[in-house]
This record gives sequence, C-alpha cells and structure tokens, in this order.
Amino acid sequence: MASLLRWTALACLLGTAAPALAAEQITFVSQGGAYQQAQTKAILDPAAKALGITINQDSAPDAWPVIRTQGATGKPTWDVVDTPTQDCVRGGKAGLIEKLDFSKIPNAAAIPASYKTEYSVPYEFYSSVLAYNKSKYGKNPPQGWADFWDVKKFPGARALRNHPLATLEAALMADGVAPDKLYPLDVDRAFRKLEAIKPHISVWWTSGGQSALLIQGGEVDMEMMWNGRVSAVMEAGADADYTYNQGILQNTSLCILKNAPNLATAVKFVNEAIDPKLQANLPLNIPYGPGNPAAFDTGIIPAALAAKLPSAPDNAKKQAVLSAEWWTSEAGEAALKRWADFVQKK
Amino acid sequence: MTSSLAPRLALGTVVALVLLFLVLPILIVVPMSFSNARFLTFPPPGYSLRWYEAFFGNPAWMQAARVSLGVAAATAIGATLIGTAAAYALSMSGSRLARSLTVILLLPLVVPIVITAIGVFFVFAKTGLLATLPGLVLANVMLATPYVVTSVLAGLRGFDPAQEMVARSLGMNRLRAFLSVTLPQIRPSVVSGALFAFISALDETVVAIFIAGGQNQTLTKRMFTSLRDEIDPTIAAISSLLTAASLMVVVLASLSARKSSTNP
Amino acid sequence: MTPSSPALRRHERREQMLVLALLSPALAVVAALLVVPLAWLAVQSVTSDGAFTLEHYRRFLTEDIYWRSFLLTFRIALTVTVLAVLLGYPVAYAAATLPRRWSVVVLGLVILPFWTSVLVRAYAWMVLLQRRGLVNGMLQGLGLTDQPIALINNEFGTVLATLHILLPFMVLPLYATMQRIPRDLMLAGASLGGGPLHVFLRVFLPLSMPGVVAGTVLVFVLALGFYITPELLGGGRTFMVSMLVSRNVEIYNQWGAASAIGVVLLVCVAALFWLASRVVPLERIMGAR
Repeated sequence: MASLLRWTALACLLGTAAPALAAEQITFVSQGGAYQQAQTKAILDPAAKALGITINQDSAPDAWPVIRTQGATGKPTWDVVDTPTQDCVRGGKAGLIEKLDFSKIPNAAAIPASYKTEYSVPYEFYSSVLAYNKSKYGKNPPQGWADFWDVKKFPGARALRNHPLATLEAALMADGVAPDKLYPLDVDRAFRKLEAIKPHISVWWTSGGQSALLIQGGEVDMEMMWNGRVSAVMEAGADADYTYNQGILQNTSLCILKNAPNLATAVKFVNEAIDPKLQANLPLNIPYGPGNPAAFDTGIIPAALAAKLPSAPDNAKKQAVLSAEWWTSEAGEAALKRWADFVQKK
Repeated sequence: MTSSLAPRLALGTVVALVLLFLVLPILIVVPMSFSNARFLTFPPPGYSLRWYEAFFGNPAWMQAARVSLGVAAATAIGATLIGTAAAYALSMSGSRLARSLTVILLLPLVVPIVITAIGVFFVFAKTGLLATLPGLVLANVMLATPYVVTSVLAGLRGFDPAQEMVARSLGMNRLRAFLSVTLPQIRPSVVSGALFAFISALDETVVAIFIAGGQNQTLTKRMFTSLRDEIDPTIAAISSLLTAASLMVVVLASLSARKSSTNP
Repeated sequence: MTPSSPALRRHERREQMLVLALLSPALAVVAALLVVPLAWLAVQSVTSDGAFTLEHYRRFLTEDIYWRSFLLTFRIALTVTVLAVLLGYPVAYAAATLPRRWSVVVLGLVILPFWTSVLVRAYAWMVLLQRRGLVNGMLQGLGLTDQPIALINNEFGTVLATLHILLPFMVLPLYATMQRIPRDLMLAGASLGGGPLHVFLRVFLPLSMPGVVAGTVLVFVLALGFYITPELLGGGRTFMVSMLVSRNVEIYNQWGAASAIGVVLLVCVAALFWLASRVVPLERIMGAR
C-alpha cells in the first residue's frame, strides 16, 4: 500500500513536471484504435523522427465536444487534431481553430484546392459504402442506395449510422439524385425518403466498432459502413462484401487548436504529416486513401492496393464527395438537429 | 417444508436457471479472452494468447492499467478513512440529525449516475481537476464512501460501545481506545468496505467517461473508447485479468481476516 | 440524564464537536462533488443567458422526445423491477433456507457478476444474443424458431442486460431480510396445522415484505438512471433519459436542457424514496440497516 501511495504521488509530480522537461513536443489527437495505430507507424513515428520532436497521443472518437470544452477554458491541452473536416471548419468559424499559414506548409501546395480549407489540410480519405452479406445475396448483390431501399427485391435486416452525415446523401441518391448534384441537400426530401426505410432499419449504429460487429455477427444483412471497416471484417473471414458505387467519399483533416500550447511545432508537424512519402505509408497499414494525392506518384503504393483505395481515381469517380462546407452551413446544422427527432419518433 | 417434492424441485429449477442467467456472460468472457480471432466471437475458432500480448504490449493500455490501479488503491484508502470516521461518528450519536446526515452520505448510491457525472464534470471544469489523477480519486472517493459507511455501520451495530468506555476509563485516550479496542472488532466490516471501494473504483465507467482524459485515462474509459472503435477480444482479456485481480484481493483479505481472528 | 451539571454539558458539547469533526471529511466530499453540482443543475435548469426562464421545462410539453423518453425509461425500469422480484425472490429464498454450504454457493454465484465490468458484460450479451449467436443457434437447434430472432438492439436486449446487472441488488436485501425471519415462527405455523404453502403465504411472505420494498425501490431507481446498457444494446432506438441528458451535454452543449431533465429525474427518484420511506426506513433501503 505504501508503495502504491508513493507511486500515486510520483505520478502526480511527473504529470505536472513532464512538459517542462522535453524540448519540443505536441499533443496529437486522432480517433483511436487500429486507425491510430496504423498512422502511428506510417506517419507519426517517422514525422517525430524527422523533426526531432515528441508526439504525445490522445484519442477521441468524437473530438468536437472536447474541442469546444478546451476552447471554452481558453487553455487547450491539445495541439493538432485529426477529425472530420467539418469539425475544423465549424471550429474555425467559432474561433476554436487556428487559421493556417500556408506559407509555412509547403507540402500543401500539391493538394487540390477543393480538399483544403482556411483551417485544415486533408489527412486521409475514407468512404461510407454499402456493405452486405455475401452469401445471402449471392450473384445478385445490391448495387446502390436504391437497392438498399428496395425491401422487396432485397429482403433482410438493415442498419444505418445514427447520424445524418452521409446518410442524407444516401437517401437522396436512393431517390434518384445524381451523385454530383447533391448539394445543397434537399433535406426535406431526404428525410421523407428516410421515413420510408425507417421501419426496416433494425439498428442505428453509433460507432465503427459496432457497425463491424453487426455485419460480422450476422445481426444485419445490409448496412452503410466505412470501407476500412468492411475490409477488416472481410480479412477476418466474415461473409461480407461491399461496393464503391454511390459511396460517399469523406476525409478527415488536420487542424490546430486556437491558442495551442505548442503552436509553432504544431505547424511544422502538420507540414510533415502531409508529406507525400509519409502519406503513402498510410494505405500500407490500413485501407484508407492518402489525404495528399501526390502520394500516388511516389511509387510506394502498389497498383493493386491503390485500386482498392476509396480515393483512387477509378473508385472516386463512382462516388459522391461529401461537402464539409454544406454541413457547416446553417442548413447543415439544422439538419443535424433534426436528426435526433427523426430517429426517436416512432 | 419437507413434505412434498414437487414444489422443491420447481424451486430448484427456477433458482438454477436464474443463477445460470447470472453467470452466463461471465462464463463466455474468459474463453473469448483466449480467442485467436480478430473479432469478439463465441465460441472462439481457436485459442491463443494474442489478446493478452496485445494488452501487455501496448503502452497506452499499460498506462491506463496503472492509472486504474493507482486510483482504485487511493480511493480505497481515502474512502475507508473518511467513511469509517463518519460511520463511527454516526453510531455514537443517535440524534435525528445523524439520521438525516446518514441519508446525505448515502446519496451517491441513488442519484442517477449520469447526473452525478455531469455534475462532477462541471465542478472539475471550474476547478481544473478534469483529466487529473487527484480529480479521478476524489470522484471515486465520493462514489465509494457510501459502501464504507454502510459496511462499517453494520459492523458497529454488533459492537458494544461499553468496551471502548472501559478502555478509556483505564486511561487510554480516545484514538488509542478506538484503534486498540474497537477497530480490531469491526475489522471485517472495515475490510469489506475497503474492498468494495476498491472494486467500485476499478469498475467505475460513466463518471470516468466524462472526467478522465489525456494521460489519465482509466481502463474502463479506454475500454469504452476502444470498443467504439474496434470490438476485439482485448477487452475480454482485460476483464478476465480484472476479475482475477479482484478475486485475489478478496482471497488475500479474507485470509488475513481469518489469521487475525485466530490469534486474539 | 438531566443536562444539569455544567461538566456534563461540557462533555456533551465536546462529544458533539467530535461527531461533527469525524463526519466533516465525508460530508465535505459528498457536498462538494454531489450536493453543490446538483444545486447548480437546479439553477442551470431555470436560467438561460443569466436570466430566469422556464423554457427548459416547457420542452417537456412541446417536444415529443422528452416525454417519450421518460415514458420509455419508466416502462423499462418497471419491467426490470418486476422481473427482478419474480426471479430474485426464489433465489434469495433458496439462499436463506438452504443449508449453509449451499447458500454460500448460491450467494457466491449472485455476487460473481460484480467482478466483471458492466461494459464487458454488455458486449458478452451482444455476442451471445446476436443472430448468429449461441442463443439463437440453440433456439433454432431446438426447433423453437426457424428464423433467427432479434434479441438485441431493441428494448428486449436493454431489459435483459439491465436486469442482469441489477438482479443482485434485489437478491441481497431480500436475503438479508429473509435471514432474519426466525425459523421457530415457521415451525410454529406448521405445528398449528398450516400446510407449507399456507405457512409461506401467511408467515414468511409478509415478514419478507420489507426486503421486497427495499429491493424494489433500489432496483427501480438504479434502472431509471441506467446509461451503458441502453446505449450499447438499444440499437439507437431505445432512448432512455440518461442518454437524453448526455446527448444534450455532449452533442448539443445544452446544459440548461440537460439540467432540466436531470432535475425532473431527481424529483421522480426523491418522490419514490419518500413513498417507500413510509413503509421501510430510508437507511434500510440504502443498505445501512
């Protein structure tokens, strides 16, 4: 007991003293789990080595509430966050996220303007795809959201994410809207379409881990999932498959908290993290697409792997690209609020 | 009540089924922890130690384990000290005021945990205790104090306060009289209160979700976030280890209790 | 015991000071971390931007989700409590009447789940109850169903997992009460010519009622505030009050709304305890017999 007490006291001391000791360091936050492990190997460790800094990691599956809380205190403990782009943008609008000085981030020059915002650079791409039970649908699997909505032709239990993001887009595509004509979203039309499928949705999932268990444990026959999740359960031998048709291409971005404790180091890190070579390492560790398209030209990503990535040109053209801009607009915020009502109402 | 067999058979069956229901999920957790599959499945397709390796080989998990054990130990000590003192005081004073104070001390048991969690979150946000070890310990001490109070109160009820009076009349001061006469006799109830405090702190999840963070994440909080990301058998391994650790603490405690009761 | 002599009075005052001093650390912790925040919640629930308002409470009348969620929460809590009494009573009875050797085993099995994290138990149920899970496999094997049944991601799964966590909280107070019922009384009842059932209904059952009340209140109140199981096993549709509270804080940052919900829930809990305290003393319900 005495040693435990001593340990506790020591830990308290270390907790307060550590920041003063290290030379240059940042606190980097991502979403945890296999994804964070993969990027640690592919990007974070090499970046720390190249810059000679220490990268402390934290994880938050949903960073937004924490960004807001840290902003409210005026003294954030995080520096760089890897989070869906819309968090960076709405954080920027609310004064919680730093504006980036692109003159200090030369690696961003190669990235198309449509992927960048004043507050963020793209970090990795993933897609919300239609996944299904392979043996159940055999030779005639569902090929798009219209099929997902067609409960007669494709019977079975279904799941969607308990979140409007990408789900509204899917509903509109099911209703016949072309993938490149989605924005601004016709929210009323999307919710009308969702009402139609609602009785057939047996689970509204709230986390990536849960979505994987659903298809792997046979709880549902068809669901919207992130592509990396389906690939993982397929590798583990689950009876599942997916299509990029009408997938919703999304990306997470890097952004820096306003008044970040290590601002200068954070900017250096952001530049290094989108270096094409480090970016090309990412898909070798997890099936997500690099945020910097220049990674495809480094020769590090084998062609066979590139063909499976959501942001590879051939796959990208089958998909819709999510607009972080629209989701942070007033209409987008209103749609977010409307979602809770929709899910709870019988 | 021995006359007819049928009702007893029926009762036995019901009891056996209910007990099966109670232990069923625990029964599958241990085998799942030795699974070789990437996802949580039962029965496991094969067996391996990979999830124990995943736990012991991951610095983040190890850090969380240290935090959890440290917080639980500190909580057990803190809650036992203040809980025993409070229970002793309550048993000394039989006033109405004491009765209502008992109810206040037991509040943490009955206030819905989510409400407690956002309340503690608010206090910590104002005082800078969010994501700190002292904050975690304080919150858990608050949650665990009722266990110690109820346990020690029950122990004191079977104790005759006259014995302590005698010791004091023989010239011992109050503290010494308590330590050398009262405490040894209520020791089992103090120990079981401390155990409960330790285990409740080890298993506490909801408040930790709100107030733990950064380097100071408890195992349960890390499990909660990790499960959102990936449902793999690591949690089964951790849970099995926690069960083993709790059981060991209980066995050690009961052994030491037995030893102390055999030499008077 | 007339407090006439000054010495005695001084002694009494000293005793009172000591009682207060010993109580104060525990009281301070509970006050600072629970009573103050609860008071703050109450204030938050009637303010908006620093001004007094009842807007947060008006939502209970205007927004469907609120009363729906309360209704669902009470329904689930009631179901869990009724089931806990029905299943817990026989177990407690067995533990109280069996020979010591066996009663230790029964109680040990009742307490065993405490050693396993609530989180992990929820996931264990997921694995057991999913469509390709063990239970559905057995049901199909026995020919009870030919299609797998949805056992989780709904209200059923939530009730089952909540019941699993709360059942010991019913069994233990029941056992404590039953254990105190003198055996002689039962024998006396039997010797007066009552059959076993008669003795049980006329003697044992009424004497065990305080335990039933204590267990019922405890389980019901704990179920009202449940968070982990509905969140994980409710399929996103079983939206209990605790989730309403945390959503309002985490996603919408609406402390006023969350506080109002919390206050209403607390008032419900307090009312229940007040009602129960008319039958059984409060300390006894909470375990401090």
